Amino acid sequence: MTAIDTPLPGTSDRFPMIKIVSIAIITFVVVSPLFLLAVASLKPDRFQILAEMGSFKAFWVDNPTLQNYRDILTFSGNQPFARYLTNSMIVLVFTLAGGMAFNSMAAFVLAWGRIPGRAIILTAMIGLYIVPQESIVLSLLNIVNSVGLADSFSAQILPFWASPLYVFLLYQFFSQVPRDLYDAAIVDGASPFQIYWKVFMPISLPALATVAILLGIETWNQYLWPLLVTQSNYARPISVGIAGFFGADSIYWNLAMAASVMMMIPVLVLYLMFQKWFVSSVISSGVKG
Amino acid sequence: MLLPACAIVAFFLLLPFVLSFPMSLTNRRLIPRPVRFVGFDNYIQVLTDPIFWRALFNVTYFTVLVVPVQCGFALAMALLINQKIPGRNFFRGALFLPAITSIAVVCVIWGTLFQYPTGPLNQIIGFLTFGLAGPIDWLGNPNSSMPAIVLLSAWQAYGFQMVVYLAGLQGIPGDLYEAARLDGASTWQRFRFVTWPGLRQTNIFVIIITTIQAFKLFTQVNILTQGGPRDSTVTVVQYMYSVGFVGQKLGLASAVAIILFFIVLVISLVQRAVLRDPK
Amino acid sequence: MTYPRFRLSAGLSAGALIAAFAAFTAPATAADLKMMFQGDPYEVDAIGAAAKAFEAANPGTSIELIHTPHDSYNEKIGAAVSAHQLPDIVELDAPFLSNYVWSGFLQPIDGLIDKKLLDDMTPSNISQGTYPPDKKLYATSLVDSTVVLYASKKQLESLKIRIPKGVDDAWTGEEFKAILKRLSTAPGVKWPIDIFRGYGTKTEWIPYAYEPLLISSGCDLINRDTWKASGRLDGKACVDAAAMMAEWVKNGWVVPQSAGTNQFYAQGRPAALAWGGHWFYSEAVKAMGDDLIVLPLPKFGDKAASPNGTWIYAISKDSADPQLAGKFLSFMIQDPAFQKAHRDHSGFPGLKSFGAASPLYAPGGPMAVAFEQAAKTAVPRPPHPAYPAISLATQTAFTNILDGADPQADLTKAAAAIDADIEDNDGYPPFGGK
Repeated sequence: MTAIDTPLPGTSDRFPMIKIVSIAIITFVVVSPLFLLAVASLKPDRFQILAEMGSFKAFWVDNPTLQNYRDILTFSGNQPFARYLTNSMIVLVFTLAGGMAFNSMAAFVLAWGRIPGRAIILTAMIGLYIVPQESIVLSLLNIVNSVGLADSFSAQILPFWASPLYVFLLYQFFSQVPRDLYDAAIVDGASPFQIYWKVFMPISLPALATVAILLGIETWNQYLWPLLVTQSNYARPISVGIAGFFGADSIYWNLAMAASVMMMIPVLVLYLMFQKWFVSSVISSGVKG
Repeated sequence: MLLPACAIVAFFLLLPFVLSFPMSLTNRRLIPRPVRFVGFDNYIQVLTDPIFWRALFNVTYFTVLVVPVQCGFALAMALLINQKIPGRNFFRGALFLPAITSIAVVCVIWGTLFQYPTGPLNQIIGFLTFGLAGPIDWLGNPNSSMPAIVLLSAWQAYGFQMVVYLAGLQGIPGDLYEAARLDGASTWQRFRFVTWPGLRQTNIFVIIITTIQAFKLFTQVNILTQGGPRDSTVTVVQYMYSVGFVGQKLGLASAVAIILFFIVLVISLVQRAVLRDPK
Repeated sequence: MTYPRFRLSAGLSAGALIAAFAAFTAPATAADLKMMFQGDPYEVDAIGAAAKAFEAANPGTSIELIHTPHDSYNEKIGAAVSAHQLPDIVELDAPFLSNYVWSGFLQPIDGLIDKKLLDDMTPSNISQGTYPPDKKLYATSLVDSTVVLYASKKQLESLKIRIPKGVDDAWTGEEFKAILKRLSTAPGVKWPIDIFRGYGTKTEWIPYAYEPLLISSGCDLINRDTWKASGRLDGKACVDAAAMMAEWVKNGWVVPQSAGTNQFYAQGRPAALAWGGHWFYSEAVKAMGDDLIVLPLPKFGDKAASPNGTWIYAISKDSADPQLAGKFLSFMIQDPAFQKAHRDHSGFPGLKSFGAASPLYAPGGPMAVAFEQAAKTAVPRPPHPAYPAISLATQTAFTNILDGADPQADLTKAAAAIDADIEDNDGYPPFGGK
């Protein structure tokens, strides 16, 4: 039986039409503030956007145009948006690859390994999540510079290959896996790495998808750190690029809004890709199999 | 296998944090000057500053409001889009949009919605109450400013918890629902006796993490209110940021960071002890 | 069979990770000259073009531009200094100059920039770039700034409100109060004035735009002889001035912070007057056209005052080639294309020649009164290394007072905070006054 066929929590066959309509209404209400963003990105005149803020006019556009999008993509070499976007993608892909591997390995060991001081490491992990990034960025900048990573991609990738948040999340998930599964693999003579890779990873798709999605958004929207660590446009991500539209005396609402919409698309794709891993009952079918 | 993660965390997170302790004992400025050892003066200065205590009160108030609102809403949405309905991917994508919107843009949008006196939110309230309820100065009134920040924050960030709950829901064995259905359990009973207990671990994670995140509240406040009106939205991180980056007193800011760390650590440990499965 | 996608991506990433990673560790290539700056997109373009032109005129020279978002500029400078990676040329916000010079990371530029440029700078431009203890010039700029009053000509005429002809003719404090009161009952006026509380405290707006009101009322943020805030910022003149502003707010005469920054020209013109920066002109004229008029700031006491200061360019002490840095700065500021870009965006002239060539500010132009005001009444914000503390304390105090706090109590608190900062730094020698 594939996962999709299992009944999903809360499913009811009664009143499917009413249900869909109510979900649609809820979704509409929740998402409606974002129409302002979409609408503003289609208004070419930043003064018009500013004048219409604070009223319902902010949610309506008379003469929609894609001019802002064209402007951004054809910007001169001083604010190369295509470059910023590529940079963000590079950082995203490498952070995700390393982050998923290292966080899950650590979580697996913490959940199942026989290591001394496990509780202490776990508590320390949670504790370190408390540290606000704003309080350590300056020290971190000195550390990164002293190992020669100033103004590089690595400086935006390496520090995020492991995070207490995701180790903790995956630990919670791994520790729920039934003991039989682990014991059976031991009996089969599997090494710890084999158990991790062949048993735990495949049945942990929902948790891994969660980490991929959350780490992906976090990476994509990083601002303060890349701002401080990048200098030139060489490795500068799009989040910092967009902030350039919020000028000293005036805000370029039209460009900022269009760029923000463009910036959302890649993470939306990432999310839609990974949310397919939210398949039900993997653990239970794993036990049966 | 534990080593890479531990090494990275130790080097890029633990080390800079540990370095802030010696710094907190000096009068180190943002722009380097010869430093002087000042002992615990910075700690005394922070702990005797009424603004710090106000900030601590504010984040506690924020946390108490935002954790149930945000987590509850996230769970409701997760249950909603975990069903087999036509266009499920569309709803999943749409409901996740707020979470991927950068916080600066979210602040622009909600700043407009909250605008006083003619902003859309006030117009809707006026319309629904036939003009009886006067316009609310959401961000300009000390009584409504923090609830307004809560609303905005919960809207922006519920996607995080929603995704974690979605993952958690997949861990509940389908046969349990099958059995409950055969027993004739109602939708509510199935939630109460199958879903809710099945989400126990997820809940622990979500509540602890959301609490920590709430205590770190900064960006929204920094963009929208900068702590005002009348200090009603000053938060601890914002206080630290303002002392360090604006006031240039890095030593003092480090002391704030360390005090915040220990306060939240105690709260997290208590939460974990209370929530843990009594095995 | 259920998880091929997972295996594929994991396998791919593991391989690609190690292989491709080395390529990204190499930082960007080094340039002969680095410049850090902030600015609107048109400035980014203008500076980029100037750099290219300079490179073309000086073969073999390369310039790296580090554009930094305005809202995060102070963080970036702080981080760059503390990490010892300050570029050769640093743009900075004028009131912070004394703090940076005192901290020891800038060098005088008198001998590094063109004599012609030096002679062309307006007195206000020189004052914003000068460090008082050694009276040397540390920074220069093409532009400067000021704050004026904006109004609707038709509205003032229909209400029979006197329209000042120039700076010497500015509204007095009493007159101004009567005008606000008159406007508060005028048809269609929701708020008599916008003092741009909507800018919040993330910018320099409060000490920048409100200090002139204090100075004109006979007080200041700090005593500029003894460098002590207590007795000045919390003295009677300042308390009265702050109380006056708080009363405007209490009367409902001022656009609230949460109403945004567009109420002066938004549909229906809810706000009658605007106490706004010179940059506000281009926003407002777009909506109001000929009806928009520009007036000098009111004169509350014996003397008139207006703010100045903008983002200016300095050369860091660690610069490997300060001569080249000075050469580039002189080139860029006098570059006709660079000047045109600023003129097209109503840049406020910081050079005499640029003023004469800007139709907006030249005699007879719509903003001529702004230029006249800058020449006659401009007062820089306190040029003292404690300025970050002064700014922070002032912003906190005025935000609270306008929100209803007791003016005397909050100004006393602010003055004490400023004095404590100065004391913490042993008076910031060589500045006197302990």
